[in-house]
Amino acid sequence: MIVYSALVFAVVFASGTFLLLQRDLTQVVVGIILISNSAVFFIISAGLTRGVAPIHPLEGADSVSDPLVQAMALTALVIGFGSAALLLAMVYRLYVSHLTVDAEEIADYEMRQAEALERVDDPEGEEVPAEEQDAEPIEEAAAREESEAR
Amino acid sequence: MTGSSASQVLLVLPVGIPWVLAAVLALLDGRRRWVGLLAAAGLGASLVSLVWLAIVVVRYGPMEMVAGGWPENVGITLRADPLGATFALVSVVVILISLLYELSLGVSWRVFPALVLLVTAGLTGLFLTGDVFNFYVFFEISMTASFILTGYREEDYQVRGAFIFSVVNLLGSVVFLTGIAALYSISGSLDMQTIAERTDILEPSSVIAVAALILAAFCLKLGLFPFHFWLPAVYVGSHAPIAAILSGALANIGSYGLLRFGGGILPRELEFGSMAVLVLGTASILYGALQAISRRDTSEVMAYSAIGQVGYVLLALGIGGPAGYAAAVLYSVVNSLNKGVVFLAAGLRGPLVGAAFAVGAFSIAGVPPAAGFVGKIAIFKAAIAEGSLPASLALVALLFLGGALSFLYSFQVYQRRFMRPRREGKPSPRSARFLVGALAALVVLLGLWPEPLVSFSEAAADVLLGGSG
Repeated sequence: MIVYSALVFAVVFASGTFLLLQRDLTQVVVGIILISNSAVFFIISAGLTRGVAPIHPLEGADSVSDPLVQAMALTALVIGFGSAALLLAMVYRLYVSHLTVDAEEIADYEMRQAEALERVDDPEGEEVPAEEQDAEPIEEAAAREESEAR
Repeated sequence: MTGSSASQVLLVLPVGIPWVLAAVLALLDGRRRWVGLLAAAGLGASLVSLVWLAIVVVRYGPMEMVAGGWPENVGITLRADPLGATFALVSVVVILISLLYELSLGVSWRVFPALVLLVTAGLTGLFLTGDVFNFYVFFEISMTASFILTGYREEDYQVRGAFIFSVVNLLGSVVFLTGIAALYSISGSLDMQTIAERTDILEPSSVIAVAALILAAFCLKLGLFPFHFWLPAVYVGSHAPIAAILSGALANIGSYGLLRFGGGILPRELEFGSMAVLVLGTASILYGALQAISRRDTSEVMAYSAIGQVGYVLLALGIGGPAGYAAAVLYSVVNSLNKGVVFLAAGLRGPLVGAAFAVGAFSIAGVPPAAGFVGKIAIFKAAIAEGSLPASLALVALLFLGGALSFLYSFQVYQRRFMRPRREGKPSPRSARFLVGALAALVVLLGLWPEPLVSFSEAAADVLLGGSG
């Protein structure tokens, strides 16, 4: 039994990891869901005991199956569910603004946008590149003035 | 240990106030000024009760309470000791200042105050719990709220940063959860003290794998060297108060977890792996400092510097012993405040901001009279007090090198940002600048009058070595 549960844990975890390393963000989310469920499976197998159901008036049983593990597994499931919903919402938000869920395409798009912003010369002036653009033309201008003076 | 019912209420207040208020404020529009102020008042009340709790705990010893009136070992325990109280206190201070800062700039999300309160509730809860699974639940509360907060302001790169942050940290949570399940499986309990007692008599070989899992999970949270890859992407993009909350308050989970689980629950395994811990810490210090020197953007430099700074905490943990643990606590506290100051100051402009940033940056470098100096001195002392002569020589040399490198990047970034004449935009609101100034003043004050901080961290180290160790 221990070998089997270890095998299942390993297979679920490994497929989750494989999906996590993909470029498609929805696949990444599915990967995280698989991985978090493998942890739930691990919790269950951490307390595998045979026995009667642990309901309060215990009727003449030698052993009771562990109730704590199931409580933990339920909690972990709920947390995993909430996180999955949150991640999917984020992916949807990225899809709305980029019309793609491919991680590299989104990164490319951002690079292009950042370059475009630098060209416009960001009025906020918070980014360092913009600040350098402020500073360097002045230095260049100073150098030009010097050379003209000569 | 178990106090009267009045003191039990005191134990619940720091967690309960922000939690209940968060649930209420989630229904209201957080962009309104009074909602934000109400959230700040709640945080203030939580802070006051924490200060009171910390004083009680340091004077009269740890406080314990079993939730729901269950018998001990059945119900979930809340336990306050100097270690948890110290961490909770510094985290709430940084979060409160960040919230007020954002209020003065103008909140742009209706859920912002509620999320900040939830982060606080999760953090104080996990610092004050005595149950490992409860620790995980509180930890997830604060992490999930911070996942959403990272996307605050909703620029595309911020949402992408939030996605990266969530995925990596969920992976870390799963690793940690697996570690908890394994701890439960080998010790048959979820109570921290019981686990500590039972793992002490178990075969080391069965515990060491679990200890490695838990160590890896907390290193991921802290962003230590081999696990740091997510950190710059997240810290650089996020809005200044969010970066301050992430690195000033949330990163405390990592250092607290390492101290509590490493030093408190699995001390034998920590000692066994101390060489690995020292090597990881060294690698973090050097990698973070060298990367920070090579970057230009202020927040990028500070993100890499964060990787280096947590290396010191790990180093102190690896040195171990009373001096080492006390130094680790002290350094974490000082580091949180430093990070709060520099990230908040980096988002502002106008008078007073440069001075506050300078205090934060030079505190990171360990220049007296800032508090960073006290932290560095504590680690120096620990390095000299514990271990053999060649080992302490190597450690002291490393600390000197790390200090010199961090002085270099602090100066570089200060010069680049504040000493160069530039076209000034409109200065930021005065209240935000005063807040940052006040936090910087706190850093200097703790540097000039370090006795309370030192005594708190020594009390915290005693908890690890005595009570549950």
